[in-house]
Amino acid sequence: MNGQGFCYARGDPVLQAQKVSKIYALGKEKVKALDEVDFLSTQGDFVVINGPSGSGKTTLLNLLALIDRPSQGEVLFEGKPTSKLSERDLAFLRRQRIGLVFQTFNLIPVLTAAENVEYPLLLLNLSRQEREQRVRSLLEEVGLDGLGRRRPDELSGGQRQRVAIARALVTQPRVVLADEPTANLDSTTGKQIMGLLQNLNGEHCVTFVVVTHDPAVPPYAQRVLDIRDGKIQGERYVADRPA
Amino acid sequence: MWRIALRNLRRNRRRTLLALAIVSLGCSLSLVVLGFVERSKALIQQTTVQQYGNIQIADRALFEGDSEGLGYLIGPEDQELLTRWVAQFPEVRGSTVQLGFSSLLTFRRRTATVRGLGVVPENPVLDYNGLVVGGRGLRSSDLGAVLVGQVLAEELGLRPGDFVNLTATTAAGALNVLPAEVVGIYRFSSAEVERSQVFVPLSLAQTLLNTRGVDRVVLGLRSLRQTWGTARKLDRGLPAQGFTLEARTWDVLSPFYRQLASFFDLLFGFLIAAVFVLVFFIVLQVLTLSFLERTREVGTLRALGTLGQEVFRLFLLEGAGLGLVGGLVGLLLGVAFSLAFNAAAIPWRPPGTVQAVTLGVDFTPLVFGVPLLVSLLSTVVSALLPAGQMARLSVVEALRTV
Ligand SMILES: Nc1ncnc2c1ncn2[C@@H]1O[C@H](COP(=O)(O)OP(=O)(O)OP(=O)(O)O)[C@@H](O)[C@H]1O
Ligand SMILES: [Mg+2]
Repeated sequence: MNGQGFCYARGDPVLQAQKVSKIYALGKEKVKALDEVDFLSTQGDFVVINGPSGSGKTTLLNLLALIDRPSQGEVLFEGKPTSKLSERDLAFLRRQRIGLVFQTFNLIPVLTAAENVEYPLLLLNLSRQEREQRVRSLLEEVGLDGLGRRRPDELSGGQRQRVAIARALVTQPRVVLADEPTANLDSTTGKQIMGLLQNLNGEHCVTFVVVTHDPAVPPYAQRVLDIRDGKIQGERYVADRPA
Repeated sequence: MWRIALRNLRRNRRRTLLALAIVSLGCSLSLVVLGFVERSKALIQQTTVQQYGNIQIADRALFEGDSEGLGYLIGPEDQELLTRWVAQFPEVRGSTVQLGFSSLLTFRRRTATVRGLGVVPENPVLDYNGLVVGGRGLRSSDLGAVLVGQVLAEELGLRPGDFVNLTATTAAGALNVLPAEVVGIYRFSSAEVERSQVFVPLSLAQTLLNTRGVDRVVLGLRSLRQTWGTARKLDRGLPAQGFTLEARTWDVLSPFYRQLASFFDLLFGFLIAAVFVLVFFIVLQVLTLSFLERTREVGTLRALGTLGQEVFRLFLLEGAGLGLVGGLVGLLLGVAFSLAFNAAAIPWRPPGTVQAVTLGVDFTPLVFGVPLLVSLLSTVVSALLPAGQMARLSVVEALRTV
């Protein structure tokens, strides 16, 4: 259950892409990073998008995260098209409903772990009491009890990614998008992080979309999409997820 | 937000310290110079008001010095009316009348051209007795008495008790001579005044010119700050009272004060402009570098839902923080330097004056406010451009930068 004991019905559409293409102009040349991609993730989903370097994973994730706009096609959030929304509206959607985890953690270096987790709540104008309570319980949940006062450079890579995950979840978003969350971690730590995401997905009814080229990641998903040269190649369901 | 801004200032210490040093140096320099200007102006104000009173009311012809004869005199009834009218103003502490005249002063066959000023002896507004250094001041009971300046006394060998002859043209145009006893010697900040200005009882001046008139009414105000407001009110009221007279303030009456004040203002204006430009360019460099370094951080903040304008504000805040901290440090530095300067009590004799004044720095709200404001403003203005660039970055591009 999420913090307020409130869960959307499993199966409701959360993020959807309809025939989205993204074309980059590199000088005179045009690079088609995404080619008419269709995608659907529903409430409580745990999707991994798997593909080699340059296949368009980050491009797709940025579109789904509403920080970029497609050249063609439409991205729908909670069933509603987003192409007509202003930058401001998209920013408000992001701060309220979407959590992001980056390959390079992207913590704010001058803030402590707890302050990093607290930052999105400042954007939501929550009371200090509410903020402190949420930050404490999330740090505990990601296994960083007692490390809240450390600054990012005083934490290991795995710990930093845990802070980033706490930051992504603290606003109780509908979906968390992660771009290669294990790429900068050793394989053991990477597995721990994926295990954490899996648990969180089970406990909060948050949708997770993870893009990766790390072969250790797909087993944690419910569903795996393969992407290659900007196209979704196939979809499979994972039978044996690690405990 | 301010937490991020202020902590970022501590991030690259060397760069922040450089910016802070520049800001605080500029701020302290402005403080010292402004404090010095304020003290110097206050000193000159004091002597100017000692000489002219706060406000004088007279015929325009007297002020401009372009009249033939004594057409500008104010008769006894008008004096009476005017005195009663100005007494109604709450700002007016009191008023007195004066009569100026040109005269020859003769002592044992030696003659000097002087400007005589007939004053009401021992009046509470302006009687010049405070300037007397030898002998005594003018008294109400005096008839034939004169105060001469130290410079004139030395040139003619005058001492208290000596008798001189004063020669002047009467209002009707005849020549008139009266004897007067030198009762006192005065000193003033200006040698020129000491050489050429003598003070006599009003009655003597009127007898000499054979008139019952005076040429001006001098007002003393309760506070120097009320000078200009009161003068405006007087100027508006005078025609309504049937007078063709004008009110002029001490700063306008003294060309010396006006020149010096505008010179000081110009000097300070240049300094402020130079400090502003210097701080602007150096802080611009520092901030541009330190902002660019955080491109990916900006991408992260934006991706988390921070608006471009919030990023803009964050960076402006950083500029303001730099200005505030640098400014406050600068104020402390400036005060420390000023106190040392004041303690040194350096004497200085302005050209054309006889008494040395003590140079120093005054601390008025202005002396703190202007430098702090300039520090803040220059750093915030420096931050505007780079902050705007950071706020307009594309989120995806910012995230892609390493
Ligand atoms: N801003 C851009 N300008 C031009 N080309 C771009 C841009 N961003 C991505 N591309 C191109 O689009 C294609 C897909 O890039 P993308 O970053 O989505 O791949 P990826 O799967 O995330 O790769 P990686 O595993 O290296 O992160 C690549 O060929 C890349 O060179
Ligand atoms: Mg990528």
